[in-house]
Amino acid sequence: MSYGSLVALRDVDLEVSPGEVFGLLGANGAGKTTALECVLGLRKPDFGKIEVNGMNVAEKLGSVMEIVGAQIQGASLQDRITPRRALGLFASFYRHASAVMPLAQRFGLEEKLDAPFDTLSTGQRQRLFLALALVNDPRLVVLDEPTAGLDPRARRDLHDLIRSMRSQGRTVLMSTHDLNEAASLCDRVGIIDSGRLLAVGTPASIISSFCADSAVGPAGPSLEEAFLRLTGRPWSPGTETES
Amino acid sequence: MKGLWRHFLLTLELNIRSRQAIVYGYLVPVIFLVAFGSVFRAQTPALLAQMGQLLTITILGGACFGMPTGLVAERERGIWRRYRLLPMPTGLLVGSILAARVVIVASAALLQVVLAHSLYGTPFPAHPAQAIAGVVLVTASFLGMGLVIAACANDVPAVQALGQCIFLPMIMIGGVGIPLAALPAWAQRFSGFMPGRYAVDLLQRGYDGTPGDGRFSAAALAVMGAAAALCGARLFRWEPGRRLRAGSWPLLLGALVSWLCVGTYASRSGHLDALGSGDSGYMDITEEQMAAISYENLPGDSEFVSRLSKPLGKAGSMSGLENIRGAIAEWRPGQVADPGQGARNLLCLAGVADVSEDPHEGEIARMVFDDLRQRDGDRQLERILAWVILYPDQGRCVTTVPELGLRHQFREDIVRDRAVLYAKKFLGRLRGSIRD
Repeated sequence: MSYGSLVALRDVDLEVSPGEVFGLLGANGAGKTTALECVLGLRKPDFGKIEVNGMNVAEKLGSVMEIVGAQIQGASLQDRITPRRALGLFASFYRHASAVMPLAQRFGLEEKLDAPFDTLSTGQRQRLFLALALVNDPRLVVLDEPTAGLDPRARRDLHDLIRSMRSQGRTVLMSTHDLNEAASLCDRVGIIDSGRLLAVGTPASIISSFCADSAVGPAGPSLEEAFLRLTGRPWSPGTETES
Repeated sequence: MKGLWRHFLLTLELNIRSRQAIVYGYLVPVIFLVAFGSVFRAQTPALLAQMGQLLTITILGGACFGMPTGLVAERERGIWRRYRLLPMPTGLLVGSILAARVVIVASAALLQVVLAHSLYGTPFPAHPAQAIAGVVLVTASFLGMGLVIAACANDVPAVQALGQCIFLPMIMIGGVGIPLAALPAWAQRFSGFMPGRYAVDLLQRGYDGTPGDGRFSAAALAVMGAAAALCGARLFRWEPGRRLRAGSWPLLLGALVSWLCVGTYASRSGHLDALGSGDSGYMDITEEQMAAISYENLPGDSEFVSRLSKPLGKAGSMSGLENIRGAIAEWRPGQVADPGQGARNLLCLAGVADVSEDPHEGEIARMVFDDLRQRDGDRQLERILAWVILYPDQGRCVTTVPELGLRHQFREDIVRDRAVLYAKKFLGRLRGSIRD
């Protein structure tokens, strides 16, 4: 996958199992968002194939999106639309859709159901986008930096939500540059850097593979240490340009 | 379909709740209406000859400013990015936006018509079905151009700038703001290369019943709109922050070439002469040309061809004639903006009555003469009549007048011949060569 002469993703070969929470880890500009956008059909890979539930994304995007829910960066809604209208509108595009009220209650939006979008706080907007991602009761949920901009409490709530998705048997594919979040939430992670997938495995297996001989601090070896070993530079998520 | 319907309704609702959309979509057209009204209110009926222009301005604003402004604002905010995750081709959602815009523009046009009627007494469209079809076609064509603007503009200010590039030339020299008849010859010809002229023509025909079917204008708008829509669809960008690809210029050129092709064809086929500019050439008629016109061999006033009754007096000499006089006075084709074409239409009316062998053919011709003398001073009427005589094939020709019960459609060359005979009889009387 490339933008002009810039190769954003190269030789990515990855399989995510049903019911798994998989995290893509990497600094800004590493290629996480591009990878997720390819899965969602927003970008077309130069070559290769992406399948969701056995369906080729490039050929059956409509069918794929029936079973995929997504929260992506840079998306927004009209200023004057209310959560009630937005949930109702998006639900009406799917064959199997959740009812508006239970979703709103689940995401703590019941009191803001009739408030215009531009009056919602960042956290409320994020919750609305998560609710929209689940409006079609999806089998695969794609979350791009879902905790970005959230306060600690909202983060905890989101972590609980992702765990509940796993317990419901949904597959979650998420990107994050929060290594602790990835370690605590994800069944497996993939470390991506400069468009290459450097390592894939459980957080523990990656740490043990790449930090077995390291001198570690009191908390033991970490994904941060593994990242240093894999890329040759310290973990610094915010210093590069956005992908 | 349910989702698309909800999206369509939501677009309408959000538009109604947007102050900016109300200002650009409804208030600005009303300002134009009032501005036109203050200039043309003295005409009888007021604004009738300008409704094509006013409706075109309304549609142009909604389609080339309102629609792309909304679309680009939503794209740059990432709203379309979210829509792309739906299990539906995003093109259908754009279709829903365009359909909503047709409704919005049509409602603004309706408001324009109702306000013109309420404020200035402008009659309602003579042919409502044709007027509605015209509004829909013009809107669809201009929405195609709006799509191109939306595809080219990187942000909302760019939409305004690009929109003005289309809007201003059409207003100033495209026959949309300033009437074609008031433009110099080069501008009248140049206007044929822009869609505004055809939009005004089509809408005006639906409004005042200008003779002719407007098929050429409709076809011109369809070609220009389709080329623009194709280009806009191919260049459309869903993602915020992206720029137009370098290879997009051939497509944009293709859309512009359609304007060039239509203008060239219209120019070569004579359609530019027939639209709008009408019979304004009567102003160039000289005294020598008028003096050279012969009245020999004219049929007598009581003969079979071109009958003309004696002067009728104020109330008319037969019962029921007053109704015919009123119908002639209110007949829309007689009231078009161009006095030359208006007079030719009335002469054609007399010609149609004559060919129809209407029981009142002589009286109708006399009433046409009286009507012409009332509306155009004798001096101007002489030039107009001479113009009709010397250039019988110019301008448009009415071949049926259902408004006066003359429903049969006659051959144009026959009606034109009769119009010339009547023009000679009238001119002879005005110049003292024929005595009543």
